[in-house]
Amino acid sequence: MSTDIAALDAAYTKTTDRWGRITLLLGLLIATSVPFYLLFTVDLNITAGNVIGGFLAVAAVYGVFWVVEPLTYYPILGPAGMYQAFMIGNISNKLLPSAIVAQSTIGAKPGTKKAEFAATAAICGAALIHVISMLLLVGILGSWLVSITPPGITEIAQNYILPSILGGVTVQLIATLKQVRATVIALSAAALVVFVLLPLVPVLGAVGIALAVIITIIATWLMRPASMRGPGGRGPGSTGDGEQSSGGQVGIN
Amino acid sequence: MLLTQGSSTDIGAVANAPLLWVLALAVMGVVALQSIIYMGAVRKNAAAADMSQAEVRKAFRAGGVAAIGPSLAVVLVAVALLPLFGTPPILVRIGLIGSAATEVASAEVAARSMGSGLSGGEYDVDVFVVALTAMSLSGAMWMLATLIMTPLLKRGSAKLTEVNPALMSIVPSAALLAAFAALTLTEFPKSGTHIIAVAASAVTMGICLAIAKAADINWLREWALGFAILVGLFCAYFAHNSGLGAA
Repeated sequence: MSTDIAALDAAYTKTTDRWGRITLLLGLLIATSVPFYLLFTVDLNITAGNVIGGFLAVAAVYGVFWVVEPLTYYPILGPAGMYQAFMIGNISNKLLPSAIVAQSTIGAKPGTKKAEFAATAAICGAALIHVISMLLLVGILGSWLVSITPPGITEIAQNYILPSILGGVTVQLIATLKQVRATVIALSAAALVVFVLLPLVPVLGAVGIALAVIITIIATWLMRPASMRGPGGRGPGSTGDGEQSSGGQVGIN
Repeated sequence: MLLTQGSSTDIGAVANAPLLWVLALAVMGVVALQSIIYMGAVRKNAAAADMSQAEVRKAFRAGGVAAIGPSLAVVLVAVALLPLFGTPPILVRIGLIGSAATEVASAEVAARSMGSGLSGGEYDVDVFVVALTAMSLSGAMWMLATLIMTPLLKRGSAKLTEVNPALMSIVPSAALLAAFAALTLTEFPKSGTHIIAVAASAVTMGICLAIAKAADINWLREWALGFAILVGLFCAYFAHNSGLGAA
């Protein structure tokens, strides 16, 4: 029985790994070919220097996040979820909330296999809605929607959608996890970073959320209950290949 | 091929090229393909996670329902950006890695490097193509980093689980709690309206979950996020128009 389960688990990992990489690479190639098609077919008055300059300007702002975001999300998403999330985007405002809702619906605790599978299924469901909404509402009905939506409504949605999602998701997350100790630590660490550290050292703004994540992981580990203090447990200073030393602002994409 | 003067400001004429529509559909197709393959893998191997087929369906549906609210919000913003970038580029940029906020900010930064912005007469086809190239390459870097780092992180965390399973059992929840706590609190200093939106959404979620638990209504757990977003935006609308907003 246990070998069957191990075989199923291996099959899942193999399929999601291989096809996750193939589809992500395909998406990357197709999406990147869009501007190059225009660069080669439209009669433009621009130089390679303009293009490189534009890219470098964006890289200066977001370059850190290219590396730091995958690092920050890995402990939450796991390998299968990584290939989904970094293809579809909208991670903190759409995919993670979907995963949290699904785990809450079937009662799966983060960190377990069940939670991992539930998150994958949930992100598939979210992807379906994502594709349908993009094709139907943006692709087909987009121009018509532009003409009937009052600008005031769009402005409200643009400015306040993130707080309107985050308040609810955070409450649902706390209710699903039922980990009072970790919740108190996470809220305290986040408050410390956002209200004390960042106003004092504004240059840390780009890595503020990662700092909160690192502080929470270390503090939760140091204050873990006695039942988890078995032999062989290492301190938080030696956490291996860097998942925990990740930095960055979760939630750009 | 299609020849257009780069100094024209008619973005739509360039952005709606038939091949770009094909590419945009292909991108959506790849997302759908990935989801179909992944769903198959979950369904086939569900026993490995001690999960029933009913639970697999439930998780899929819950994820879809939870995504309706956020998707509609993304649509609203994407639609507002259509005149700026044209439909196929918007489908590709917002449909793949990237959120509306990131893409607009990237485009603005790239456009400024050309001495223009995203609004005004300076924004012509030349600037559009440079901005689109910059934001596309930036998105590609995110995906590339994921492709390169995920296998490395996988090896690292497998080793870590072996050496210190207790640590790895606390990391996912702690990271998730901290990320959302910090994301939420980051909204607070922005304006009073942001705080009201967070609070209204949080309270609505709390009420929905309490009712769902007390009356054992499972569908309310799935729809709660949609209600919370609606109430959050509704309260933000009134707060914003009463002058609390700093947007």
